[in-house]
Amino acid sequence: MNMNKHDVQHKQAFDEPLWWGLFSAGGVCFAVLLPAVILFIAVLLPLGLLPTEALSYERASSLLFSVPGFLFVGAVVCLPLFHTAHRLRHGLFDISVGNDTLNKKLMYGGAALLSVLALGLVVAGFLS
Amino acid sequence: MSTDQITAKRVSTNSASTKHISVKRYLPDTSTETYWQEYDLPVDDSTSLLDALNHIKEQLDSTLSYRWSCRMAICGSCGVMVNGIPKLGCKTFLRDYEGDIRIEPLSHFPVQRDLVVDMAIFLEHLAAVKPYLIGDNPVKPYDPKAPETYQQTPEQLARYKQFANCINCGLCYSACPQFGLNPEFLGPAALTLAHRYNLDSRDNGKKARMAELNRHDGVWSCTFVGFCSKVCPKHVDPAAAVNQGKVEAAKHTLIALFKG
Repeated sequence: MNMNKHDVQHKQAFDEPLWWGLFSAGGVCFAVLLPAVILFIAVLLPLGLLPTEALSYERASSLLFSVPGFLFVGAVVCLPLFHTAHRLRHGLFDISVGNDTLNKKLMYGGAALLSVLALGLVVAGFLS
Repeated sequence: MSTDQITAKRVSTNSASTKHISVKRYLPDTSTETYWQEYDLPVDDSTSLLDALNHIKEQLDSTLSYRWSCRMAICGSCGVMVNGIPKLGCKTFLRDYEGDIRIEPLSHFPVQRDLVVDMAIFLEHLAAVKPYLIGDNPVKPYDPKAPETYQQTPEQLARYKQFANCINCGLCYSACPQFGLNPEFLGPAALTLAHRYNLDSRDNGKKARMAELNRHDGVWSCTFVGFCSKVCPKHVDPAAAVNQGKVEAAKHTLIALFKG
């Protein structure tokens, strides 16, 4: 433990606050928004408890391909993806699978790729 | 109360049952193998695990080694695993256990002999976070008209008081799966004490401590399992302290980014 100041500075975890911040934000979105989304899109709508035109193709695309739609996808897809990636990374560490440096790249890289894909689709729809 | 009643009461507590406990033995001077040894003991409702170990040592088997001192949950010496859960021997009562009682040395620490573990790495982690007041106001000669030394309001005290109750028993390290996987992880008690001093209005050492906390082996190795807070015999809640430490470490990083 005779760590001098240089060593301690060298070992500063500058990336961890970012992953943890995304994990926390994703957890909040997961808990607060996703139940409502599932209730509307996956329960009420298929049961016919909402007006049939509530999410008609025209209405759904105009809602989704907009700035609020972009924020919606960020909150219910991208942030929960980073939350999941963080949990998977730590879960893999717990059961001693792979090594943490590689797992980090795979998990957060995967979350980033899928996020870009999701947000890219919204932007593409917005522009078309 | 008459003498008869007192005698009757004594008889009733002494007319206790016999309990069977198994102790994991390790005697490195005779063998490198560990083995389980069984003991039958007379117990009553007031028999603590530490009383039981003392009974074994004094009456049954003087070769048994274990640590203890205060027998009132303040020295933090008598931590052992009871049926796989870290406990203080003096705060654990055999009346609460039916059937098997298996006693092992604290998990995640190297065993020296029987129930005695080597806590050196825990003490190193404690020292690393500088758990003492840094840069506090020097003590001035006491002036009753203007007493200004070490003044602290009850609110300022309340901010850190809970986290100051740690007795360094190490139960939380035995409970922490992350410390088990990576002994370089500073661990619950050290991170809690760092947080306790960071919250103290008299302290100015936060900057020095944050450099230790904001490492991979600092707060970021915690995955919020929370078992540390469950086993803590002093209800310190290390899990809360470590996770508040993550907020502090994140703030520290942001500030460092802007300051360059």
